[in-house]
Amino acid sequence: MSALDLKGISKSFGRLPTLAGIDLTLDSGEFLVLLGASGCGKSTLLSIIAGLLDPTDGKVEIAGRDVTRVAPKDRDIAMVFQSYALYPSLSVARNIGFGLEMRGASKAARREAVNRAAEILQISHLLDRKPAALSGGQRQRVAIGRALVREPKLFLFDEPLSNLDAKLRMEMRSELKRLHQMLAATIVYVTHDQIEAMTLATRIAVMRDGRIEQLGTPDEIYNCPATSFVAEFVGAPPMNLIRARAEGGALHVAGAPQPLPLPPEHTGAGLKAEVLLGIRPEALRLVDANGLMPVDVDLVEFTGPEQVVDTRFAGQRLTAILPPERRVAPGSRIAFRWPPERIHLFDAETRRRV
Amino acid sequence: MTSTRLTTRGWLMMLPLLAVMVLVIGWPFVQTVHYSFTDARLAGTGGTYVGLHNYQRVVNSPAFWSSFRLTAEFALISVTIELVLGVAAALLLNQELVGRNVLRGLMILPWALPTVVNGTLWRLIYNPEYGALNAALSQLGLIESYRSWLGEPGTALAALIVADAWKNFPLVALIALAALQAVPRDIRTAAMVDGAGAWARFRFIFVPYLVGPLTVAIVLRLIEAFKVFDIIWIMTRGGPANSTRSLSILVYQEAFSFQRAGTGSSLALIVTLIVMLLALAYAGIMRRSAGGGI
Amino acid sequence: MDRRSPAFTVFVYAMALLLALVILAPMAWLFIMSISPAADLSARPLRWWPEEPDFSRYRALFSLAQNSIGAGFISALWNSLRVAGMATIAAIALAVPAAWASSRVPRVGWSLGLVVASYMLPPVALSVPLYMGLAHFGMLNNVFGLAIVYLTILAPFTTWLLRSGFDLIPKEIEAAAAIDGARLDQALRIVVLPLMAPVIATAALFAFLLAWDEFFYALLFTSNEQAKTITVALADLAGGRVSDYGLIAAAGVVAALPPVLIGLVMQRALISGLTAGGVKG
Repeated sequence: MSALDLKGISKSFGRLPTLAGIDLTLDSGEFLVLLGASGCGKSTLLSIIAGLLDPTDGKVEIAGRDVTRVAPKDRDIAMVFQSYALYPSLSVARNIGFGLEMRGASKAARREAVNRAAEILQISHLLDRKPAALSGGQRQRVAIGRALVREPKLFLFDEPLSNLDAKLRMEMRSELKRLHQMLAATIVYVTHDQIEAMTLATRIAVMRDGRIEQLGTPDEIYNCPATSFVAEFVGAPPMNLIRARAEGGALHVAGAPQPLPLPPEHTGAGLKAEVLLGIRPEALRLVDANGLMPVDVDLVEFTGPEQVVDTRFAGQRLTAILPPERRVAPGSRIAFRWPPERIHLFDAETRRRV
Repeated sequence: MTSTRLTTRGWLMMLPLLAVMVLVIGWPFVQTVHYSFTDARLAGTGGTYVGLHNYQRVVNSPAFWSSFRLTAEFALISVTIELVLGVAAALLLNQELVGRNVLRGLMILPWALPTVVNGTLWRLIYNPEYGALNAALSQLGLIESYRSWLGEPGTALAALIVADAWKNFPLVALIALAALQAVPRDIRTAAMVDGAGAWARFRFIFVPYLVGPLTVAIVLRLIEAFKVFDIIWIMTRGGPANSTRSLSILVYQEAFSFQRAGTGSSLALIVTLIVMLLALAYAGIMRRSAGGGI
Repeated sequence: MDRRSPAFTVFVYAMALLLALVILAPMAWLFIMSISPAADLSARPLRWWPEEPDFSRYRALFSLAQNSIGAGFISALWNSLRVAGMATIAAIALAVPAAWASSRVPRVGWSLGLVVASYMLPPVALSVPLYMGLAHFGMLNNVFGLAIVYLTILAPFTTWLLRSGFDLIPKEIEAAAAIDGARLDQALRIVVLPLMAPVIATAALFAFLLAWDEFFYALLFTSNEQAKTITVALADLAGGRVSDYGLIAAAGVVAALPPVLIGLVMQRALISGLTAGGVKG
């Protein structure tokens, strides 16, 4: 039985469609990340799963039960908000136990559950404080604790880490990963941060304009992007996309000295003429100046473990991440090669993978 | 929760207020409109439909026009004074100044003073025989003999305006001060680094922040001033020789002193119309500033 | 930050002194009049400070003797307190749910606009039917009747203030409570209203001040000790046959005392409340 089933969910605000027919099935224990830029509809979708918004069309099923018209409190879910949404006038302990209190759990049961959650999250010493007296990271833990004690069928996270500073965000990320593994919980998690998505998810749904652009494991999303949008959205710096013509078993880039070879699985295939050639910056290797792909270096940023090199190839921008051993100088001419299996081809018009 | 259920819930929560508002505002207003087309008397007699007769009578009466002119004068002059004094006081309070917070706290006092007390206070100050103003001016040698400030048509309105402006300019000052303090420190510093002088800073940094809040405050004050009743009633009752008879005083006399509910109502509706026009201007300003706020 | 010339500093302090004088002098004079013997007040040249402070007017105002000025004055104070108190409680009771609805339920919000727009109506546009209505129900010269009429002013105003308070409380908190299983009334009572307490207190104070200050309706709808409020009593005193200006001044001081004290104590909240609407606007 699947933990969550979305069937043809669509949502319009007025005449503005925000979600257009979302279908999704989630198995128990999965960590699904809804990834996309702001305005793509990911938070709307999460609100619909929570029951805070009604879908214009479609069905929400949680653990096999149709909950489309069920109030949030009766869906057996817990949610962690971006703003934490702690109850400012209540103590940390009462915040965490609020869901149990509302469901009429006994005082003793509540105390025990709160203590257990606090221990897991290492906030036992904060239980008597008010939320205002906590740091951002501590508030975040309380918000998670509030979700934990409920032991719901489904956890919903709405950009929970985006209000934290970089160091805390990394810390909480591993914390969340640990919790997921420990509790074997089913989680739907919304974020615009691709690193969070890659590190946390068992599956990622990349969203754009109210649709799911691609649904797959982090590995699939990264190594086998279904569209040029996904290819550019995931990965930093983003994948290079070079306009080219596929003709006679090779790729011709206007202005380049020689055609580039097609990836092995495409050789001889009936490709459509105009394509985008996708190469991740870290797939590029430095070779001698008269290699396959000669480029002019514009800018070099040395980050420590690597150097990020901005170049032009036949007038098109190309970024590479190179090991720091052989330093590259701005203004010089160098050349790249790449493992043939690491390039991607997208139809220039439909932007889909070919 | 379904949105229809939420909406139902919302209406249920709204209902008590709406019911009371219909009872104490909606229904009376409709009745006023109704009376304005009849010859109703306050005692409940009369009530025959007379068409636009009441309105014609009002528009053709010199009393209405003199009240209208007077009310407009009162509103425009006092609000202008409040604006000038208010901004000046706000600029002063925006300076680094020992005791600034105490001074700002004092500004709340005239606002908190009930209008009736304010009227009484100034009436005593203007008293023709024992008033402080006469005493002070004659002790300073500025006047030869005591004058009846509220008893002479030439000075009564001015005396009223002073009393009203004294009570209301601190509020304008507090609003302007809040607007001035909303100017980010960085912008002020940047302007100073860029070498802007005092006037340039006022004109290009502070004025843009002041315009929005002050326009709102001014329009609201104008609406209030057009409805003025209390302070005039306390200080002059519209006299001497009707020289301070504002529109609201005129309505009061017509409807309650002369018991003519019909004409009183039509007059009240004309006042309402004037205030509504001001309110529409206000709404227009609000919409524009909401569109392209600072 | 701003470097000033000494001359400018002197100017600033001189102006500050002038401003303090302009604000304080009239009010101080009201108090001085109230404690100056009648002879001092009618002396020429006027005596600006009493040789011997005379508190007899305050005693007279609070004297309980039958038919004295004091009896009328005390009943007026009591009426004002009752009318303003009742109207404030009723206004807040109506405003809290309505403000929540208009802040949280999109399809209901517009109706508040209508309520607030009624603020623009001058009281004269409602006074005749209100008079006739109160007369019909025998509620002229009645504190309950006057309190109901005061709702025309207090209810829209408090609803508007409370709504901006609710707008500041994140919707997520209510959503979190809903997911946690709280009914709406539980979410409001346990989570939201404690956060609103300061705003509700401020709104109630404003409402009380408005009702305490009200004069027009009180003048029209009350006629004797039974319901006359302090503002009407003071106007009677000031416009009547009393020849002791010190007594009038003392009555003014007493009538002004509650709002002025509230104003001083609640300064911060009042100033931010007064200016917030404008600056946000």
